[in-house]
Amino acid sequence: MASGERLDRVRGAFAGLAAGDAAGWPAARHRSALLAGWSRRLRRELDAFAEEHQVTTLPVPFALNQPVAPLALGPSDDAEWLAWTALTIREDRAEAFGRLAGRGDVRARVSVWAALDNLAAGKRPPASGHDNPHHFDDAAAVRAVAFGAAGLDPGEDARVTNAEDGVLGAVATARAVAALTEGAAMAEAVEEALGALPAGTAIGHAAREALAAARAAGPPFAAVPALDAAVLDHVYSYGVAAAQTVPIALALADAAVSATGGTPEAFGAGVSAAACLAPVADSAPALTGALLGCAVGYDALPAAWRERVRTLAGCCLPELAGADLLDIAGRLA
Amino acid sequence: MISVRDRARGCLLGLAAGDALGAPAENLGPEEIAARWGVLTEIEGGGTDDTEYTIFAATVLLHHGHGLTSEDVARAWREEIVARLDGPMRGAGFSELGTVEALRRGLEPPLTGRWHAHGWSDGLAMRAAPYGIFAVGDPDEAARLAEADGRVSHTGEGILGGRAVAAAVAVAMTGAPPGEVAGAALRAVPEDSWTARSLRAALDVAARTPRPLSGRALHDSFGRALHDSFGRALHDSFGRALHDAVVMAHYPWTDLAPEAVALAIAAYVAGGGEVETSVVTAANLGRDADTTAAVAGALAGAGRGEAAVPERWAARIGPVAGRCLPVVAGRDIRDVADELVKGM
Repeated sequence: MASGERLDRVRGAFAGLAAGDAAGWPAARHRSALLAGWSRRLRRELDAFAEEHQVTTLPVPFALNQPVAPLALGPSDDAEWLAWTALTIREDRAEAFGRLAGRGDVRARVSVWAALDNLAAGKRPPASGHDNPHHFDDAAAVRAVAFGAAGLDPGEDARVTNAEDGVLGAVATARAVAALTEGAAMAEAVEEALGALPAGTAIGHAAREALAAARAAGPPFAAVPALDAAVLDHVYSYGVAAAQTVPIALALADAAVSATGGTPEAFGAGVSAAACLAPVADSAPALTGALLGCAVGYDALPAAWRERVRTLAGCCLPELAGADLLDIAGRLA
Repeated sequence: MISVRDRARGCLLGLAAGDALGAPAENLGPEEIAARWGVLTEIEGGGTDDTEYTIFAATVLLHHGHGLTSEDVARAWREEIVARLDGPMRGAGFSELGTVEALRRGLEPPLTGRWHAHGWSDGLAMRAAPYGIFAVGDPDEAARLAEADGRVSHTGEGILGGRAVAAAVAVAMTGAPPGEVAGAALRAVPEDSWTARSLRAALDVAARTPRPLSGRALHDSFGRALHDSFGRALHDSFGRALHDAVVMAHYPWTDLAPEAVALAIAAYVAGGGEVETSVVTAANLGRDADTTAAVAGALAGAGRGEAAVPERWAARIGPVAGRCLPVVAGRDIRDVADELVKGM
């Protein structure tokens, strides 16, 4: 395989993740962290007003007397954490995270915050990821896209912030991305991922249920209700549980490639279907986008999306404001 | 000489009293509790899920005895909880509804406890006391039985929290001092676990803090302690140190088993195993206050017996309403205690 193709796939994984990240409705919420504190406070008050007055007009984030760019379509938390991972990937993972501990300007999932607090209190991995109320979330799975693209094991990184299903989700994601980066077909990449997910775990059970449900339903959009029923328990909207988002990403990536015969149209078909699953729209579209972007390659992604998602906003890691995701991906490849 | 029956009644009455005392303080912080009550010492209303799920667990245990399996427990959940639901669940935590949904999906244990994301909740710890009563003096057996139950609704640290409480109650039921009881809780969980690390950190705080809000005849001295700024300050510094040791800063919910079990056992140890002091100390720490006070009350009541549970609290504990679990409506926790030790 020519190295040019490999670079195209790695860039595709990064830009695909960022496009999925941008496509999910929570992106605007994350990006609104860049708006002035008073306007975010006013938004919370409007939220209470809407509840109190039974109005269905949603008080979405708004810009008033300040730049409107944060509310435009663009990448948010997942793209930034992926970029941070790629930039620090050769460092000891506990040390890289340790530099974030105690910083007051970082935004992150519960698992990452709990890990940063644990590290600051002297707990080392794997306890930092295990003694963690959200050890099961997909923060490490998102970061694992960088490890998969670099052909590296995501385990050490994952165990800083996660445990059990959270680590399994990272290993599965990295395996799938690594296979796709090497030019494997989506079906092979999905099998690679499944091999990392024991059937007796929630994530392993959900992955097999999700794949079966999506295959029975047909094209990705048709599979949305089946995935909602098969994978989401609707008890608590954690939204970023790896046992939900990784299986949905695998199932929709698989369905999109099957439905389109693996043409570039697979990307939009899979990502937009993932964005329709509102409870998991924070990261399921991003993970789906990473798999499909890696499969079809950067050059085959819609040009308007490619341009729109390459510049990071700095809504979670302020030092990444203005950073070029494509450049970061290229350095990794 | 305190009889086994007396200890069993003390255990479950202590649990029910802690549940009822802590209920209005659930999800509050120590500062909010201090602002509202000064010191919360009087039961305001009824008990909650802690008492009702304890009765449910005891009933299933009595039916199967030492042969209890996770499949027995899953069947009981299906027949006695899921089948009776004709609307929303009431008064339960996330792990219970998550388990019900997993059972409705047709899953079997242990996947039922893994499928939902609250496998680490204190929902098993809150109902684990009957296993310790039933296996009095045998902490390994008590922990094994609690785990058989817990595999239906919990996983990982949630199961460990239940094991720790069951083992601790089994030892408390022998009249062992609080230090030994806490040691039994620690021995029931792997050294390399969140529950063990959390327990060790909390016990460390309890060991280096002077007894908070102490008093032998507490309901006489407590009124004085209430207005005693020294006693209050002592409790505040104890509470702050405990929170710093075991409470996660970036997580909004309070029902993590490693946290709740550590707070409960630290309050019990700091309270010297005395029922009122232990329960009041736990309830005034806030967080999952009904569960932590219930666990502290179960341990202290097992150690000191029925007569050590303040009469004014015991008088408030009648047959349960079945508000959370209709199947247990009308059961009296004293009868459950008697049944658990019948023939001993």
